[in-house]
Amino acid sequence: MDLSYGPEYDEFRARVRAFLESHADRAPAASISAAEDRPEIRQWQKTLIDHGYAARTVPREYGGFGADPDLLETIIIGEEFARAGISQGMENQGISMFVPTLLTYGDEEQKKRWIEPTIRGELIWCQGYSEPDAGSDLASLRTSAVLDGDQFVINGQKIWTSSAGEADMMFALVRTEADAPRHAGISYLCVDMKSPGLEVRPLKTMLGTSSFNEVFFEDVRTPRGNLIGKRGQGWEIGTTTLFHERNMLGGSRQTENMLRRCEAVLRDTGALAEPIYRDRLMRLRGRVLSMKYHGLRMLTDRLKSRSSGAAGLITKLNGCQLNHEVAALAIDALGEYGVLKRGSKYVREEGNWQNQYMFTLGLIIGGGTAQIQKNIISERGLGMPREPKPAPSRD
Amino acid sequence: MDFGLSEEQTLFRDALRGFLDEQFPVDSVRQLIAAERSQSTELLRKLGEQGVPGILIPGAQGGSELGLLDAVVAAEELGRAANPLSFHSSCVMAPLALRHAADSRAEDALKAIAAGEQRHSCVHAGVDLVDGRLAGSARFVPDAMEADAFVVLAAGDAGSTLHLVESDRAGLSREPLVTVDETRRVGELSFEDVEAEPLASLAVADTERLIDAGRIALAADAVGSAQRALDEAVAYSLDRKQFGRVIGSFQAVKHMCAEAVAELEPVRSLLWYAAFVWDERREDSSAVASLLKAHATEVATTVTTTCVQVFGGMGFTDECDVQLWFKRAGYDRQMLGSPTALRAQAAEFDAWL
Repeated sequence: MDLSYGPEYDEFRARVRAFLESHADRAPAASISAAEDRPEIRQWQKTLIDHGYAARTVPREYGGFGADPDLLETIIIGEEFARAGISQGMENQGISMFVPTLLTYGDEEQKKRWIEPTIRGELIWCQGYSEPDAGSDLASLRTSAVLDGDQFVINGQKIWTSSAGEADMMFALVRTEADAPRHAGISYLCVDMKSPGLEVRPLKTMLGTSSFNEVFFEDVRTPRGNLIGKRGQGWEIGTTTLFHERNMLGGSRQTENMLRRCEAVLRDTGALAEPIYRDRLMRLRGRVLSMKYHGLRMLTDRLKSRSSGAAGLITKLNGCQLNHEVAALAIDALGEYGVLKRGSKYVREEGNWQNQYMFTLGLIIGGGTAQIQKNIISERGLGMPREPKPAPSRD
Repeated sequence: MDFGLSEEQTLFRDALRGFLDEQFPVDSVRQLIAAERSQSTELLRKLGEQGVPGILIPGAQGGSELGLLDAVVAAEELGRAANPLSFHSSCVMAPLALRHAADSRAEDALKAIAAGEQRHSCVHAGVDLVDGRLAGSARFVPDAMEADAFVVLAAGDAGSTLHLVESDRAGLSREPLVTVDETRRVGELSFEDVEAEPLASLAVADTERLIDAGRIALAADAVGSAQRALDEAVAYSLDRKQFGRVIGSFQAVKHMCAEAVAELEPVRSLLWYAAFVWDERREDSSAVASLLKAHATEVATTVTTTCVQVFGGMGFTDECDVQLWFKRAGYDRQMLGSPTALRAQAAEFDAWL
C-alpha cells in the first residue's frame, strides 16, 4: 500500500505548480464553464497546449503536445489546477471523445484535417448516437446513410444531442448496411452541421433550459471520406468512446466537492447541530469516502493493466446516485427556502441545489441508465445471463 | 501509487481461502454449532500453523509481526468461511493489548496465542481496579466460556491497567449469552474481588486504538460475510429454475445482485484504507475506523438481506447456509458500537476529506 505518487512525480507536480503561479494573472478561473465558447478560454487553451496541459498526449504532428500517456501526470495536472482554481481549458465531446476515437480509428487525412482545430476549440463537435427509438437499446438505431456516388445520404433523427446548436460537426452512428445483423450494420460517420436538410430543434429539460437537442436529417449529404474506420465498424468504434464517457460521469472528486458544499449549507442553516442531520451527513460521508478510495483502487488496477472485475463497473451507478442524494440533503436543510428557484426573492445559494438535484437525476439516466448499468454489472461482473428476448411483437 | 493488497497479501488470502474451504468448510462449522461449541483445539492449532493468530504478534513471540492490513485480509476470509474464531478479540485486540506489557507472562501469552495453543479474549470495558483487586462485570465478551485466559483492561483514574486473568481464577465467574450468530459465542464475566497484578498501564488513546482495530476487524468480517452470501446467491440464481428459466436471467434478480456489488466493493476499498491509516497512525484513523464499521456493517446487513431473498423460501430455512452470514453480519453490526452510535462518534472529528 502506497498512497504517494513517488519522488519522480513530485518534480512534475512542482513544474505544474510553477506554471500555474507564473500564469495566475492571465488564467481564467475554473468556475467559468469549460463548455462555454469564449475568446479568453480559446486563448488559454492554446497556452495550455503549448505547455502540455491540454491535448497532452495528442501527437505533435496533429497539433498536440506529444507526451507519452501517463495516468498519474494527468491526475496531478487535474489536482493542481483544481487547487489553484484555474481553468483546465476547453472541455467538450470533440476533445474528450472524438479526438481519442480519431487517433485510434481515423485515417491520416482525417487526423490532419480535424484534430488540431478540435483541440484548439476552433471546431466544435456534437455526438449523434441516441434516437427516439434507440435509447438503452442503442444498437437498434435506424438513421440510415446510403452511399450515392462519393457521398452518403442520411435520413432519420437523433436525440439528446448536447451542444448541437453550437456545433460545427457531428460524429454519428448511422445504419449503412441495411441487410447486415444489427451491430454489424452500423457505421461511424461525420457530418457538417450546416449541411442542407439538417435541422436542430432545442429540447427543453426539466431544468427549464435547453441543454439537449433533437437533430433531424432529410437527405443530408456527407462526403464518403467522412466515414471513420470501415463500413460496419461503427458499433465497435462508438462503444469504445462510451466507456470513456461513463468513467467521466462518476468521478469522486466532484462528489467530494459537492459534499463539502452541502456540509457548509448544513452548518450555515444550523442543521448540523441536529443529530438527525449529522447522521445523514455521516452516512453520505461514509459512502463518499468509500468511493474516493475505491477510485484509488481502480487507478492502481489501471496502472498495473489489471482487470478490476465487477468492482470496475460500478463507478457511474454509485457516483451519480450519490451526487443526487447530496443535493437532496442540502435542499432538506434549507427547508422551505430549498424550493426557491434562481431569481426568486429569498433564494439561497442561487437555487443551485435544486438545479443540481435535477441535473444529477439527468446524469443517473444519461450516458447509460442506472438500469443498464445494473445489467452490465450483473452480466459482465457476475456472469449472470442476459434477459432472453421475448417473442417478437405483432406490429 | 499502489492502493490495495500487495502480492504477498493476495497470496496469503488465496492460501487461507483454500485452507479454510478444505479444512473447515461450512459443514464443519455446523457440527460445532450442533455440539454447542465454538472451541475446537484442532481448529485453533491448525489456524496457528497457517499463521492466522500471530499476524499482529512480534517475531520474538513466534508471530509474523505484520500490520492490521494483513489482519483484515485474514478477518475477511474467516467471515467468508463463517469460522468460529472470534478473531477481532482473540487475534487482534488481545495481542495488541498484551504488546503494551514488557513482562514475561505477557510474552508467554503472546507465544501461546501465536502458536494456536491458547485462546485469549479481550475485556475492554466493565471491569474496575479497586484497591488492587478487579471488580465488575463485562457482557458480550467473545469466547467467554471457551477462552483459556482474558486480557482485561481495568478502568483506573488515568486510563486503564492491563491484567492477564486465567479463566479459572478465584472470584471470576462466567455465563454464556445466546446470540443470533451461532458461529461465534459470547458470554458474561463477573469479577468479584479478583486478584490483580497490573502488567502495564494504557492511556485512553491506547485503549481507543485497540478498539478501533477491533472495529476494523469486525468490518472485515462483515465484508467477508456479505461477499460469501452474494457469491452463494449468484451461484444459486444460475442453478434454480422458475418459469422455464434460471432465476439469474431475470432482471429483478440481476439488479438486486448488481446493487449488492455496487454497495459492497467500495466498502472493501474503505476497509483497506482504514487498516492502512491505522497502521500508519494517521490522525484520521480513529474516525475512519468508526465510519467504516458503521458503513460496512450496514451494507453487510443490506447485502445479506438481499441474498436471503434471492434464495426465496429456502433462504428463510435453517438448512440454507445463507442465514449463517446474515446472522454473522448482524453480530458484526452490534458489537463494539452499532452504526448510528459510531457515526455520531465519527462526526466529532471535523478535519474530513
